Amino acid sequence: MISFVSAGLLALLSLSIPVGIVLFLLGFGVDQFFSGFPLSRALGNMVWSSSSSATLIAIPFFVLLGEILVRSGVATRTYAALDRWVSWMPGGLVHANVATATMFSATSGSSVATAATVATVAMPQAEKLNYDPKLFSGAIAAGGTLGIMIPPSINLIVYGFLTQSSIPKLFLAGLVPGLALALAFLLVTAIICVIRPELGGNRRVFPFVQMARALIDLVPIIILFGLIVGSIYAGWATPTEAAAVGVGGALTIAMGFGGVSWIMIKDSLLGTIKITSMIMLIIIGASFLNFTLASAGLGRELTSFMQGLGLSPVGFILVVVVLYIVLGFFIETLSLMVVTIPIIVPMVLEQGYDVIWFGILMIVLIEMALITPPVGLNLYVVQGARKSGTLNEVMLGALPYCLVMLIMAFALIVVPDIALWLPNAVG
Amino acid sequence: MELALINTLRKINRLIALIVGLGLLGMAAFVVADIALRQVHASFGGSEELAGYAMALVSSWGMAYTLLEMGHIRIDLIRSRTSGTLRALFDIFSMIVMSGVVVVIAVKCWPVVARAVENGSRANTPLATPLAWVQVPWFAGWVWFAVVACLITLAAISMAVRGRASETEPFIGAFAEQDSLK
Repeated sequence: MISFVSAGLLALLSLSIPVGIVLFLLGFGVDQFFSGFPLSRALGNMVWSSSSSATLIAIPFFVLLGEILVRSGVATRTYAALDRWVSWMPGGLVHANVATATMFSATSGSSVATAATVATVAMPQAEKLNYDPKLFSGAIAAGGTLGIMIPPSINLIVYGFLTQSSIPKLFLAGLVPGLALALAFLLVTAIICVIRPELGGNRRVFPFVQMARALIDLVPIIILFGLIVGSIYAGWATPTEAAAVGVGGALTIAMGFGGVSWIMIKDSLLGTIKITSMIMLIIIGASFLNFTLASAGLGRELTSFMQGLGLSPVGFILVVVVLYIVLGFFIETLSLMVVTIPIIVPMVLEQGYDVIWFGILMIVLIEMALITPPVGLNLYVVQGARKSGTLNEVMLGALPYCLVMLIMAFALIVVPDIALWLPNAVG
Repeated sequence: MELALINTLRKINRLIALIVGLGLLGMAAFVVADIALRQVHASFGGSEELAGYAMALVSSWGMAYTLLEMGHIRIDLIRSRTSGTLRALFDIFSMIVMSGVVVVIAVKCWPVVARAVENGSRANTPLATPLAWVQVPWFAGWVWFAVVACLITLAAISMAVRGRASETEPFIGAFAEQDSLK
């Protein structure tokens, strides 16, 4: 059954059938060939129960929050403000790219949205100030991936939903690795630019008065992050409710900056519905496939499959890492996550690993998938915002950051507490 | 004629998506108000249940809009290496499969609604919402998705049969994110 589903998955996906539909087809296949009783009868109930979920409404809320911030011009101000604060380091404005991406990750739940935001505001500057396009755009693509690691994260909500693990814990677990990645990105940028200064452009030092004034533009975003994350951990709100609070906060900020209009609201809502339905078709399909696999006895088959492999737990995790890197070349991230969770996560838990920890490891690997060619969504997003040059330049520029992520993945395997310390400490 | 049909469907779905979006915004306002009330030990009650219903409606009624905006993710491995008619065949095949699956989903959703209507079932929650109130509109959304998918497929086939396969690209082809970026 495992080989049937894996082969079917690859074959149907390569025919360019929509991912969500492929998952349904596989569910029908499992029902037809591997189940003693008709499972498709439960399809209607599955569709209802997996979509009428108060947990999942956090997804459109977080998407909407991001759309509002982007469309109201808050991003431009943030970028300019961070430029004042971080561009003194070797590499100059490249650091502002990473820092802005980190900041937006903390309010937006999506990597593509983060990369698109930063790319739109940063690219014109690169051309004006004569930066090397490779490193400059690579830093945006890589920095953007932090959107799914630093809370709130749509991908972590989906992971928590499908594995029935605690979303607040997943959010806490993502915080330290996310910030560590951001710092490592800054460090790597600085090192590269010390060795090859021509890649970085001028360092920019601003008078203190300007730096202080710029802080005002950062305050709203910091407050918004505090509002969302704080209300969860203060016990006022569930992650879903915090997302609704975030929408209110983003609208307030946008109004404060004078960026609210009917057109802007309309575009934000339409964008939100489009992304939400796209995600939901995949999630509903995955829930159905999950259900058929479990009913047809995937658990037993996995146990014997694992014993047959005879791998140690560490050996097994390394195989999983390689698998994600390879699949990440070809499959878009959310799909990669959702189609593999039903098969991989039970195996990982069988080996005695922690479900929260694996969620974070999976996110690091999926972040890599976002910037590895040929299918790396963030590469396309950044290239799309550039007026000239080739996709190859963005890929090359993202390469050093890929290595950082790989190191982070191994660090998580060696020291699981990088992810688990904070959720355990809080509760 | 086919393109006129597609344009009309786009307009209708855009309007639907906007209404659904406004509903979503309303739901966010409701949740925020509920949290505020809780701080003074009051509450509307049932906001979580209502949020679940809202999500079911957002997902079912948004599907057709996303389909016409070409937002449903497809993996572009082989298709992008082809061109012209062959590429259009990929798209049409994918639309036929999709329509088939969505029709099956809509059909299988019917027993859920039928049971709720016949038995007058109520949710097992403090609000005890009659399930038919939310499941009928939810089901209608999936039917609409199935209808739109079939209409798009028919339009594409009819164009292909008359040798205009490559003109189907703008409504069943180009992958949205790449298209909008170029």
